[in-house]
Amino acid sequence: MSRALYKVENLIHHYNRQPVVNIEDLTIKPASITGLAGPNGSGKSTLLKLMAFIMRPSKGRILINGHPAFPFDETVRSQVTLLTQEPYLMRRTVFNNIAYGLKVRGDRKDWIEPVHEALTMVGLDPDRFSNRYWNELSGGEAQRVALAARLVLKPRVLLLDEPTASVDAASSELIRTASLSARSEWGTTLVIASHDREWLYDVCDEVIHLFEGKVVGTGRSNMIFGPWVSGPGDRHYKDLGDGKRLPVSMPPHTEATAFIDPGAIQLLARDEAQARSGRVLVNGTVTRLSLEKERGQLLADVRVGTHSLAVRVDESHLAAMTLHRGWPVTLAYRLDSIQWR
Amino acid sequence: MDFILAGFIQAIHLLFGGDAQTWSAVAATLKASSGSMAASLLIGVPAGFLLGYFDFPTKRQLRLLVDTALALPTVFIGLMVYAFITNRGPLGQFDLLFTLRGIAIGQTILALPVVIALSATAVESMDRHLRTLLISLGASRTQLLMSSLWEVRYGVLAAGLTAYGRVMTEVGISMMVGGNIKWHTRTITTAIALETGKGMFATGIALGVVLIVIAFSVNVCLSFLRRR
Repeated sequence: MSRALYKVENLIHHYNRQPVVNIEDLTIKPASITGLAGPNGSGKSTLLKLMAFIMRPSKGRILINGHPAFPFDETVRSQVTLLTQEPYLMRRTVFNNIAYGLKVRGDRKDWIEPVHEALTMVGLDPDRFSNRYWNELSGGEAQRVALAARLVLKPRVLLLDEPTASVDAASSELIRTASLSARSEWGTTLVIASHDREWLYDVCDEVIHLFEGKVVGTGRSNMIFGPWVSGPGDRHYKDLGDGKRLPVSMPPHTEATAFIDPGAIQLLARDEAQARSGRVLVNGTVTRLSLEKERGQLLADVRVGTHSLAVRVDESHLAAMTLHRGWPVTLAYRLDSIQWR
Repeated sequence: MDFILAGFIQAIHLLFGGDAQTWSAVAATLKASSGSMAASLLIGVPAGFLLGYFDFPTKRQLRLLVDTALALPTVFIGLMVYAFITNRGPLGQFDLLFTLRGIAIGQTILALPVVIALSATAVESMDRHLRTLLISLGASRTQLLMSSLWEVRYGVLAAGLTAYGRVMTEVGISMMVGGNIKWHTRTITTAIALETGKGMFATGIALGVVLIVIAFSVNVCLSFLRRR
């Protein structure tokens, strides 16, 4: 069993006495790609800043290679680097922005070759971009330069906070490719926070779900937010759009969040779906089939109204039913399989 | 109107003819102001950086004190410096009264709040992402502070130029502490006041032209820095 690179122990962080991160235990393996998923305010950015040792946690500790680490420690400087969501560059040329990390590390004076390599990695022509100033770049170019400034350090850990949130599609693809190549070329450990769950599920060895600062699960998960509408009897619903409703058990409050494990939902052909006591049926359409990396199982994304639910598909089921994109199916689940936060 | 025009024409003669009294006043001004600016930048820039960068319990009160000091009248500063460096004052033994060094001390006190306040403002307006960026790229604590100061260099330079403009054009300190002694402590501003009082408009205008040229140059630099 490989030793953990990162180990988080009883980590708590407050902003104005409000807890924003509360994680008892979290482990990240070396040379892995870990995803952080969760809604806005779930603590992803704060967790990344703590893991980047930008700030000290209010309580608890973070260990690297088994040893506690703190901001400005020699063990983490230039080894752990964070790329933030909004591109930010210093008021100097592209070349000097990228070379800054090499300078503070005391690296050799010849920075031209590593800087040019880093620019090429992010898809920017060194001859055209080296002498441009920070304010002569588009948003996508600025974010790529910011990434190049981290890649030039060949960091041990690269933390990415929504790296493609504020850039165009072309830059987004280049940023993703360059980030992943750091792992393949240097064994860099990546931790990526993103709202693009499909990308996370595709590239990450593990996806960790955060909600209100806590880890609520790993792997694929269905998270459905309130508000909830009450119906006849004890029934409550979530309006999923296009006339579709998702029945749920009684929520603890109107803004509660429901979690349904993909393994708790059964995928049925439309014609074989039958109502049973305690079981709810919802119709949808298959939009995507993928392999869940962590478990090696097939996952189907099923569109219900304007929402998408992930369903783990049993191999025996796969043999028994036709399943492809655009195929109408029925989802079946028990109301007591819903977990509430 | 004729005498004003005649004054301008004579001013050109005095300046380009190398009139000794005129250029003595210019030299005295440059000496005193350069000394005071060097001192106020040396003390004021680090103080302003610390005030703007760090959070500490009495920060707000200190900032209030600095901002209040911005409004100190020059005659009041001149009066206080005079009281300290006169023979009966605590610093009387240093013979600073009626010297350019004495004027420089007073002008340092005038310039210091300007440099501190505007440097602190420049640092406070620093993007909050800069700290994250610098630490992410491996900066040590010292490198973080130095790089942050470098990033706000244009704001700090603008603070220095603003203070310089204030120092160049003040009369109260130069008059009270310097004594307006010909060939020694007569500065541009005290000379203008004296010559105008004597009806010697040409000399006053000549010195005023020098002041305007310097003030214009300062503002051109400030304008350039604002765009950066």
